[in-house]
Formats: sequence, structure tokens, C-alpha cells
Amino acid sequence: MIKVEHLVKQYGDFRAVDDLSFTVEKGEILGFLGPNGAGKSTTMNMITGYNSATEGDVSINGFNVYDEPEKAKRCIGYLPEIPPVYPDMRVKEYLSFCTELKEVPKKERKAEVERVMELLHVKHMQNKLIKHLSKGYRQRVGLAQALIGNPEVLILDEPTVGLDPMQITWMRELIRSLGREHTIILSSHILFEVNAVCDRVLIINHGKKVIIDTPENIIRTLGGTNGVRIVVRAGEDAVKNALSGIGNISRIETLTEDVGENLTAYAVYSSDGSEIRDRIASACAKKGISLFELNAIQKTLEDVFIEMTGKEGDTK
Amino acid sequence: MKAIYKRELKAYFTSFLGYLFIAFFLLFVGVFQYLYNLRGEYANFALAINGTATFFLLLVPMLTMRILAEEKRQRTDQLIFTSPVSVERIVLGKYLALVTVFAIAMAIVCVYPVILHNYGATNYAVAYTTLLAFFLLGCTYMAIGMFISSLTESQVFAAVVTFIAILFTLMIDMLVEMLPTGNTLALAILIAIALVIAVITYVMMKSKVVTGIFTVLSVGGLIVAYAVNKQWFDGSLAKVFGWLSVQSRFALFRYGIVDISSYVYFISMSFLFVFLTIQAIKKRRWEA
Repeated sequence: MIKVEHLVKQYGDFRAVDDLSFTVEKGEILGFLGPNGAGKSTTMNMITGYNSATEGDVSINGFNVYDEPEKAKRCIGYLPEIPPVYPDMRVKEYLSFCTELKEVPKKERKAEVERVMELLHVKHMQNKLIKHLSKGYRQRVGLAQALIGNPEVLILDEPTVGLDPMQITWMRELIRSLGREHTIILSSHILFEVNAVCDRVLIINHGKKVIIDTPENIIRTLGGTNGVRIVVRAGEDAVKNALSGIGNISRIETLTEDVGENLTAYAVYSSDGSEIRDRIASACAKKGISLFELNAIQKTLEDVFIEMTGKEGDTK
Repeated sequence: MKAIYKRELKAYFTSFLGYLFIAFFLLFVGVFQYLYNLRGEYANFALAINGTATFFLLLVPMLTMRILAEEKRQRTDQLIFTSPVSVERIVLGKYLALVTVFAIAMAIVCVYPVILHNYGATNYAVAYTTLLAFFLLGCTYMAIGMFISSLTESQVFAAVVTFIAILFTLMIDMLVEMLPTGNTLALAILIAIALVIAVITYVMMKSKVVTGIFTVLSVGGLIVAYAVNKQWFDGSLAKVFGWLSVQSRFALFRYGIVDISSYVYFISMSFLFVFLTIQAIKKRRWEA
């Protein structure tokens, strides 16, 4: 279990992380989202005890990272943004070093190296120098390192960066299966990935927590729009005319999407968010307009994310 | 600690650096030994060793420049500092690896007095006490080099600064002779030094209180001491700077005198810089 309480990181006048609190339960995968420079990596470095916090506390399985660092660190496997590998070492040699560093009992070291090499499919590379590996393989060796000693908590900073699409799918499956027995924080800027893998999502911006919830809840509570998308066989004027009888329609837009021959898609917005789908259907029927599709416009996690983090024109 | 030590030692001998260091070290010792002991026919082994000491300038950065700077540059420090090994044990492991490489080179040199003995009388006691002092001198320089490497992520920067730092300890005896001996000027220079240290303290600790207390105590203390007895400041600069001279601690061994205080000095300096390295790393964790 990971417990973060009122975490603050101050660099001179700049507050990189500002009063961040959250908990991750055992067996849960938390997706950590935020634009570049939002403080994701800084937070992860504080959770793993690499950097100190200006204020606040982090505890891992009940051990405070700053008061009992050795005990806390024993429970953590960390894959930083750049895999911490020694270019001049061979894969197997490097992983053996990690077993020693992480104080895996001497008898189990060999088996542990074999276990992680098999899990990450790097066994056929075991005698290669790490500097000769591709970025995807380095990333895998980096993750293998994090899994050594089977730590309960895994902190993964953008684990799929540098992987090809096949490897990404495979890596996601792996993380999801690891999530059953581990507590995982996974940072990413690929929203699809977070949606696919994580149980809950934490969005931060400018070091502050914006929201923490399940992806479904975030979309349900923040993803609603007042819009309805309809596909009809009628021109814009006819549609406007037909729907003019419904009082609370604020605007009607013609969508550019290609929905079929002689068909056009429109977005209809109500002014107050009240349900208008039934009234649109009956108005169309009354005017003899053939209605092919009718559905509420839902925001994706991506839309919500952009809306919540891009407000200040911060698109960096 | 053992894991770090083993990896570090292995790294020196899988790359050419460890071999290069030992080769050059033996070359320098060999040249000076040939000049003094074989051609010059002096039985004093300290002379040859003393000549080699100057070449620590080139030899020490070769080993120490990468020791911590490289971890930072390739981000492997994120691995070792998030492992269950404390900073103290990591730094100690690395320092012991440096000392071990140097000890291997020294072990070879330790055979030389025995070889010399074939050609005349060698005083083993003098030879080996000198070699021990020389070994400790090297260890002090290694600690200084490691400290400098912990401050940067550029190996080149670490090498250059280490070179300059060692050069400074070599030249300090010359500089001391040029220093003024007047007591008023000495007071002024010592106050200036205290202020420089105060500024460095402030930049590093960002604490007005600590800096303030330090400034008041040091500057005030100097002025009070001056007011009480001006004679205390006679030649004080030479004393202060002379204390920094690592090399002069080695001088007595040339005359066959076993200077125990030098052993103590080298060991304490090594401890000091190992300690400073640990502090530098801990401090960086607060800033980065």
C-alpha cells in the first residue's frame, strides 16, 4: 500500500509538487496523468526516496520513506523515466548485480535473475552488452530490474516509451497481470493506455491534484455534454426547421464526418442540459425526416484531460 | 556495500581504466626508481616515491572522475539510491574500490625494495613506512577526487577540477613562501577568507541564521584575537595554508623519519572527504 500525504516539493520559488495526497491499495493500479512538467516524475522520485520532499510524508506498507528508508525501499521496485542500466554491463551480469544490491538471499539470486529474464523475454539477450540493445530492450531490462526481489510496490515512469506497438500491447498485458498481486503507480501521457490498464486515474497539473477516480467515473461526471449527435437524410435548413419547435436548443452544427450517401450528421446542443433526445426523435418523425442515428455526445478521457490541464494555454 | 564495491572494481578491470592506471603508475615509479636508486645509486627509496607523487595529478583523476559523475549522467544513481543500501554504504563501497585498485598497484611496488636489496643494503623499515605514507597520501587524493566527482555529472569537469585541486596542494608550499608575514595584513586576509566561506555556506545551505552565526563568530573571533595579542598573527597565513599542504606531510619520510602525525593527517583527510561526499549526495537529494 502506498500512502502519500500533503507532499510538497519546492525549488526556490517554484512549487513543483503542491500538497499532493492520495493512497493506492494493494492490488490496485493507479494511472498517473499530467502534461509534461506537471510534477509526475518529481512525485515518483519522492515516493521512491530518490529525492526528499520539502513537506509531507510518504509511507510504503506502513514504513515511512524518510524515517525508515531501508525498510520502505525494500518494498519498492522503481523504473525511472530513463532505464537505470549500465551500458558497459551484460544483461545477465547487470541483473545479478541488482539482485545483490536489492539484497536477495544468495541462494535465490540465480533463480531470480532467470525468473525476471523469462518474464520480460530478455533471456536470449542475456550475454549482450546493454549498450548494444535497442531502446525497447533497454526498457525491458529496466523493468526486469524493478521486478527483482518481487517487491510489493511498483513505480513505473512511462513504461511503454520506446516500445513498438506489439511490445506495447504485450507490456500492458504484463502490467495488468502484475497488478493482481502488486500495488502499482504507472505514469503515462498516453490516455488510451491509462484507460486500458488502470483501476483509477490521478490527474495532476502544475503539481496540484486535479482529480482522482476510476476512468469510468471521470467520464461519467466530467464527460457529459449537452450535445446529441443525429444522422438524418435531410439538409441543414430542414433540420433547423424541424427542431425549431423544441424550445431549449442552443445551436445546431453540421458535422463533417462521412456517414453515408445522402446522409448528414449534425450535433444538436441543448441550452440547459435537459434530455432532448426523445423530443428530437418525435420532431423528426413529425416532419417526415428519416432518422438513422441518435446518440448523446460523450467526451473521452482525452477530452476531459485536455480540458482540465490545458486551461491556462499550457500545451507544452 | 559489497555489491557496489564488486561492481565498481569489476568496471575498472573490464574497461581499460584500471589497467591504464596501474600501468602508468608503475611506469612513473619505475622511471624515478631508475633515476634515483639505480643510476643515482641512492639507497633511499623515498626519493623515487616522492618524485612519483607529483604524477598523482594525472593518475588520480583517471580513476576518480567517473566514480559518481558517471552514475548521475547515465541515471543509474536512480537505481542505487533507491535500493535498500544507504548512501554511506554506497560511498564507502565506491571508495574502497578506488583504494583497492591503488592497493594492487602498490602491492607490485612493494616488491621493489626486495629487488633493490640484491644490489646493496636496503633499510626495509624506512622503505615500507615510506610506502605506507605514500599509499595513504594516494588514498587522501582519491577521497578528494571522489568528492569532486560527486559534485558534477561531467567526467571532464571532475577530472579538470581534481587536477587543479591536487596541483594546488602541490604548489601550496611555494605559495606559502610568497605570503606576507605582517600581522595586520594576515588579519585582513583571514577575515576575507572567513567571508568567502560565509558566502559559500549561504549558497549551499540557504540559511541566514547559520551564515550569520558563522560570520559573527569567525570575524568577531579574529578581531578579538587580534586585539588581545597581535603576535598571534605573525606568520599565521603560512601556518593556515601550510596545514592544507598534503604534500609537505610526506617530506619528512625522505629523511627516514617515521612521521606518525602524517599518517593521522592522511587518514583524517580521507575520512573528511568521504564524509563530505556523503553529505554532498544527501544535500543534492534535497535540491533535485
